[in-house]
Amino acid sequence: MSNVERTGLATDESSVGDLLPSALIAAASVAFLASWATIFQWLDETGTYLGVPLFHLLGGSLFVLAAGLVILGLGSHFGYIDGTPSGNAGMTVGVVFGLLWAVVGGLVAAQWGGNAPVVWLGGAVVFGLLGAGAALSPREDLGSTLPIALLLAMVGYVVVAGHINAGWTWTPGWTGAEFPGSELVPALVIHGSLLGIWSAAKAKRGYGAQGRQYGAYWLIGVAVFSMLGVLGLLIAFIVVQGLDVMLTGASLTGGSLHLFGVSIPWLEVPFVTNVPGGLFVDIPGVMPAVLGTLWLVLGAVSFAVPLGVGAAIFLTEYAEQGRFTQLVEVATNGLWSTPSIVFGLFGLAFLVPRISGGNSIFVGQLVLGFMLLPLVLITSREAIKAVPDEYRDASAALGVTKWETIRSVVVPAALPGVITGIILGVGRIAGETAPLLLVFGGSPFPSAGPQVLQSFRFSTTPPFVTNDALLSPASALPYQLYSSITAGVFDPPAFSSTEYGWGTALVLLLVVIGLYAVGVGSRIYFRRKLHNE
Amino acid sequence: MLQSIHTRATHNLSAAATFARNYRARTDDGALLMHLLGGLSTAVAFVLFLRGSQWTILPIIVFLATVAIGWRRYQAELVKGLTFLTTVATVSILSLIIVFLLLRSLPIVTEMGASLLTRTSQPLWGQNGVYALTPMMIGTALTTVIATTIAAPLGIAGAIFVSEIAPRRLREIVKPGIELMAGIPSITYGFIGLTIFNQYLYTEFRTPTIGNYFAAGIMIGIMALPTVVSVAEDALSTVPESMKNGSLAMGSTNWQTTQSVTIPAALSGVSAGVLLGVGRAMGETMAATVMLSHTKGFPTPVFDVFTNYGETLTTVIAFEGGNASGLHMSALFAAGVVLFFMVMVLSVTSQWIEWRMHRKLGGENA
Repeated sequence: MSNVERTGLATDESSVGDLLPSALIAAASVAFLASWATIFQWLDETGTYLGVPLFHLLGGSLFVLAAGLVILGLGSHFGYIDGTPSGNAGMTVGVVFGLLWAVVGGLVAAQWGGNAPVVWLGGAVVFGLLGAGAALSPREDLGSTLPIALLLAMVGYVVVAGHINAGWTWTPGWTGAEFPGSELVPALVIHGSLLGIWSAAKAKRGYGAQGRQYGAYWLIGVAVFSMLGVLGLLIAFIVVQGLDVMLTGASLTGGSLHLFGVSIPWLEVPFVTNVPGGLFVDIPGVMPAVLGTLWLVLGAVSFAVPLGVGAAIFLTEYAEQGRFTQLVEVATNGLWSTPSIVFGLFGLAFLVPRISGGNSIFVGQLVLGFMLLPLVLITSREAIKAVPDEYRDASAALGVTKWETIRSVVVPAALPGVITGIILGVGRIAGETAPLLLVFGGSPFPSAGPQVLQSFRFSTTPPFVTNDALLSPASALPYQLYSSITAGVFDPPAFSSTEYGWGTALVLLLVVIGLYAVGVGSRIYFRRKLHNE
Repeated sequence: MLQSIHTRATHNLSAAATFARNYRARTDDGALLMHLLGGLSTAVAFVLFLRGSQWTILPIIVFLATVAIGWRRYQAELVKGLTFLTTVATVSILSLIIVFLLLRSLPIVTEMGASLLTRTSQPLWGQNGVYALTPMMIGTALTTVIATTIAAPLGIAGAIFVSEIAPRRLREIVKPGIELMAGIPSITYGFIGLTIFNQYLYTEFRTPTIGNYFAAGIMIGIMALPTVVSVAEDALSTVPESMKNGSLAMGSTNWQTTQSVTIPAALSGVSAGVLLGVGRAMGETMAATVMLSHTKGFPTPVFDVFTNYGETLTTVIAFEGGNASGLHMSALFAAGVVLFFMVMVLSVTSQWIEWRMHRKLGGENA
């Protein structure tokens, strides 16, 4: 990739052109984060920070941004700041600025001209064209700063002057909801600071191709880290809410582990090891649901993995690439994108009447197996395809038959990929709820886990083997979580139904994240190993 | 026309005959018998299972015995046959889903006719045996549109970041992070959405009810994000390095290359990713089930996403499927059919787009 970053010589004059944009980006980032914090109600919207009301700070930051952008634009235009601006700011900027100004125009016209479509639509079109024109007609250093600076200054003024303050509300006619200033101002500042970051980042690299790259990378970076931020917040929230519940009565050495007749101190987590209710249970737990989830996953894996891996072997090693493999591929991808609730309906129509006549573990296992199947097939196929043809050729050159080659060369080489795919797939189905509602769930808070191993019965009449536990409903972690959210009938003395739900959610999350960590870790490990060889 | 069909049929027939002759010549009599027995017993077992017979176990035992004997005598042929069977099973699961969904939704279709999908006047659901899916279709459309406006731009940005911008170390953190986002159970998303997001909108924005399409749509959008990121990223990374290098050698920046070479070349793959994301959003069940209000009706105007109505095709099945029967159940199956076919169209379209892209980029990558 190109490593030529700066074309101009570093001179003293360029230091303003370098420092000011950095300062602006920093200020805008702070405003961006502070606005989110306000929306999350970590900052009090009517509070005073650093001796200034919060909204004045937010509005003021937009002012500062606007002023800085004007300095940058004019400075570059009159040659005080180095840069390599293009002839105009480019189509993307034109479209974005045009749309923004169209919104402003529409709002302004509606404010003073009335609500008739002709008025606000006219205002929007006129302002939009003006905004796009202002962005596109001058040189890039002006076109990508001035229109946005004016917009930011206007918004900043409206906020600082208190035209929109925390108590103000906007009640549009088309909905019953109201939009209070306390939430609208942070939202405005979020968008404003993003625009400011974009514009300042372009200025930092002196506009032109380099500047646009820098600006775009900043925007994309902010988007990606916001995504990761959301992920982090979600996980942190579940942990914070559920940890207390999960660790109720837990201790490092309270329990005991019986090993060869000797009992040694061991971890004790009653929430994970207890049953949900009963006379002698102080701390209700999720043990039966954990067992149910384990049985579900076990059944689904033992159904889907042989089918999926077998089909993957046939498609890559035996079948001629043509109509048939194409059909299978379309069907597999179709299965992969089929909504989980549809699998549930299918299980209800096809399996339930023929197997158990009602909800049961076995049907749940099969339905989750159907869902796992396409994932296993797709990942196994990728893994088998990735085995180099040289391996097969070398084996064939030694006179080894096709099946022996597959068994002792291809499958072992592809095994890491297959295993990783299975683990990731299991992580996915372990948290699946929708089909369980239709084909699996019984009492969500049973007093005992399913006794599958103990209930095999053999007889001389067909079908010779029966297992009542497999054919009766049970509970699983996600199903139990759904029940504690919706039903609310279960109120153990120790926790409220919601607290119990958060505890269940945390256990479920730990199971799923654990599976993912193992899957991703094994993928990284095997990839390293492959590259070292 | 007729002529061409005829020649094609003869061609296919002769190809099949050649295949059969080759198969016969290359396969031992014993292995042939094993294939026959295995296939036959599977077919019989399937038919018996379909009829709910208790004798299903017998052909299964025959099948297992065939496999056991075959493993000792004709291992290679056995494996070929078995893997073929698994492939057929995979395809037949999809066809079984289609057949059973259609069969079970037949009663409501004969009862309601086309008004099942078009009726807009009360009663809509439940009274006088009237069941109309229209409100749910509107609901699905609203949540899907909201989810897509979140998932598509952010997902594409994420894909560009992972495949074009991020240095290797950062990529090794970001990519698993996004995959983990796909792995968090949807019911957990729903629980958070219910306790935080719904409450937030209700207290701050004074929405008519706790729970609305807006909140559910945003949550679904977050959940559909990882799908868009991973499929679009796959597409971006299939663009041959030589194409990018050509652009870089002309003196353009990385971003110019991304903008005018990589993205246009991978555009179809990226849009396939967005389509798959839309499919995921449509089929997402649990978060919406937990967050929506389950009242059926039409928001006025139709884009009022803060309305007190809230029901989608998926939520109605999940919420009412547990204790429905008769015509009601059949209506739920009809909802499943609508859902299934919409998602299937999206899936097939995105595959067709991807297939075209691979053919176009061709050369070293195909």
